[in-house]
Amino acid sequence: MDTIIEIKDVSKIYKLGEERVVALNGVSFVIDKGEICCFLGTSGSGKSTLLNLMAGLEKPTRGQIKIKGINMEKLNERQLVLFRQRYIGFVFQSYNLLPTLTAMENVSMPLAFRGIPRNIRDKRARSLLEAVGLGTHLMHRPNQMSGGQQQRVGVARAFVGKPEIVFADEPTGNLDSKTTIEVMDIITGMARQNGQTLIIVTHDISIAEYADKIIHIKDGIIQSIEYTNGEEGGSLA
Amino acid sequence: MNPFDIFYMGLRNLWRRKVRTFLTVLGVVIGTASIVVMVSIGIGMDENFKQQLEQMGSLNIIEVNNYGDWYDDMGGGMVVGGTGQGKKPVLDDKTVTLISKIKGVEGVLPMLSTYVKLVSNKYVSYARIIGTEVDMLEKFDFRMDEGRLIRREDVNAIIVGKYVPYDFYNPKVRSDYYGYRGGDEKPPIDIMNDRLELTFDMDYGERNQGGLGGGDNGQQNKRPSKLYKINCMGIIEESQDEKDYSIYMDITQLKKLVQDNNRHERNTGGSGSMGRDPHGSGQDQGYEEVKVRVADIDRVEEVQDKIKEMGFGTYSLADLRKSMQEYSRKIQTVLGSIGGISLFVAFLGITNTMVMSIYERTREIGVMKVLGCELGDIRGMFLFEAAIIGMLGGILGVGLSYGVSFILNRFAGGGAETFMPVSGESRISVIPPWLAIASIIFATIIGLMSGLYPARRAMKLSALDAIRTE
Repeated sequence: MDTIIEIKDVSKIYKLGEERVVALNGVSFVIDKGEICCFLGTSGSGKSTLLNLMAGLEKPTRGQIKIKGINMEKLNERQLVLFRQRYIGFVFQSYNLLPTLTAMENVSMPLAFRGIPRNIRDKRARSLLEAVGLGTHLMHRPNQMSGGQQQRVGVARAFVGKPEIVFADEPTGNLDSKTTIEVMDIITGMARQNGQTLIIVTHDISIAEYADKIIHIKDGIIQSIEYTNGEEGGSLA
Repeated sequence: MNPFDIFYMGLRNLWRRKVRTFLTVLGVVIGTASIVVMVSIGIGMDENFKQQLEQMGSLNIIEVNNYGDWYDDMGGGMVVGGTGQGKKPVLDDKTVTLISKIKGVEGVLPMLSTYVKLVSNKYVSYARIIGTEVDMLEKFDFRMDEGRLIRREDVNAIIVGKYVPYDFYNPKVRSDYYGYRGGDEKPPIDIMNDRLELTFDMDYGERNQGGLGGGDNGQQNKRPSKLYKINCMGIIEESQDEKDYSIYMDITQLKKLVQDNNRHERNTGGSGSMGRDPHGSGQDQGYEEVKVRVADIDRVEEVQDKIKEMGFGTYSLADLRKSMQEYSRKIQTVLGSIGGISLFVAFLGITNTMVMSIYERTREIGVMKVLGCELGDIRGMFLFEAAIIGMLGGILGVGLSYGVSFILNRFAGGGAETFMPVSGESRISVIPPWLAIASIIFATIIGLMSGLYPARRAMKLSALDAIRTE
């Protein structure tokens, strides 16, 4: 399978006043196209930092991040925005829907950023909302929906632009266990259906079970890579 | 993002913060209205000045005379210029041609006057008759109250000022008075229809002939006075200047009458008449006055300066207009700056609102950035919101200004006369359409400008900080 993400010896060091905090310390791995990959670690393990680096929201202190063959650390902010607009979808822990917009408008927003005309956007958004089971809530605003419903809108928004990679940062962190299963089924179902690469960051081991590959991360270092289809990756120091 | 989506998002955001948007807009409304009202007062003042000037006479007309050195404050300065060597410049036909060739001059009206006596049956009147180019009269704001202007082909035709008919009196009646005494008084003669004659004999018809004019040879002065029949074609509209008391006639016809009368006097041997060739013989003295009409009111000053350079004295209402304009401009500046202060406060209000809104929307802006909203679009959204606040405020502000203007004109008209030169019916506050449109555009630009800083800030916001889960 084709490699879509290639991380080579990446470190990220934050300076907090005089103190240096090492968030990532020489991390390397690859993710294949169409793979569902889960970063599993506790809070402060560096997993969120890793996601931010891959999404181009932050630059690494050291190392190389290659996505679709493009060196992310070399892009400027404008190029990064366009890159995200074209290739990346996001699901957030706290949904991050725009409160002024309806479910449909929220879902179609990434398409609006691309300058796609309204009628095409609306059609796409409607079909995605129907796919996540919110066909009856098209005109609802975020504050008129439950957490589960909001997150389903969030999922629809992440997939609406057919991005090649979808990042999900603790997508079920704010949901109860029943809705968690619903939402995870939808996310992984969609990703598999379209052959999209899905990267989930979580601390919840039950979420990790949905992934093809689990990358255990602790104190900024990858502990082990585990393949859920039985293969066991070696421990990486 | 296409612009329509940016507008839509912007409007949504404004609508979400209804109260704050309203209050911010209100600030702009007050700011705009105060500027518009202040400026409108200045414009109203300007208009009143203009009206007053127009009542005094036409602003396009320059009066030229050859008493340049009397009028010119610089003393001898003008005699030296132009015609030079201390010789007084002459207002002759050559000069008239020269003046008419100055750029911007629409017409030149030479004037030559002489004193005559008018006779209508038993009534007589002393009068000053002015010979001029009759076909130019219309250009020089001669409007008729009755009858019509003189045409070239009219023979010995005159037009008279409003008060000329009142100057007739009956010399046989000792107590007869003359002159207009006001009210609805009827003049003693119907000048348009009664028989009318002109004579250069100033003693004609007087009971005590010779007592007035002829000290030197009064006693033998029994020769018949020559009377010339004339027709009055019309009465000039009241203008409250010299026109009301003057009589106008075609200049060549007047010269002919004078020459004819001189011949008559030579033949009869008399010389006691006051009738004479105006200002001596021929034109060595030139015309006593020439009126110049300038097509464009803004060129009056330029033309006037050129005529001054030729060595003539000039007078026009443009002189007065200029000082009035300067005065009103000063007042407009003062009033405008007072209004400007409130608009500046409104400007700060918009900036403040937008900055506040960034704090509130930090997360949203971050999300949009993460999802691939281009920086320019984010800036566009904020600028649009700020511009809309400005524009709304501008439109409502102009509306409010019309209301305030109406109230001012309606109820404060009388009081304002004490500190401003407004006359009777005139308005204190005038809002011309250009002012309304300019104000709305200006308010919109102010809005845009006050959105610049917040927009920049929103653009620079770190997406990561914004979406970080607390």
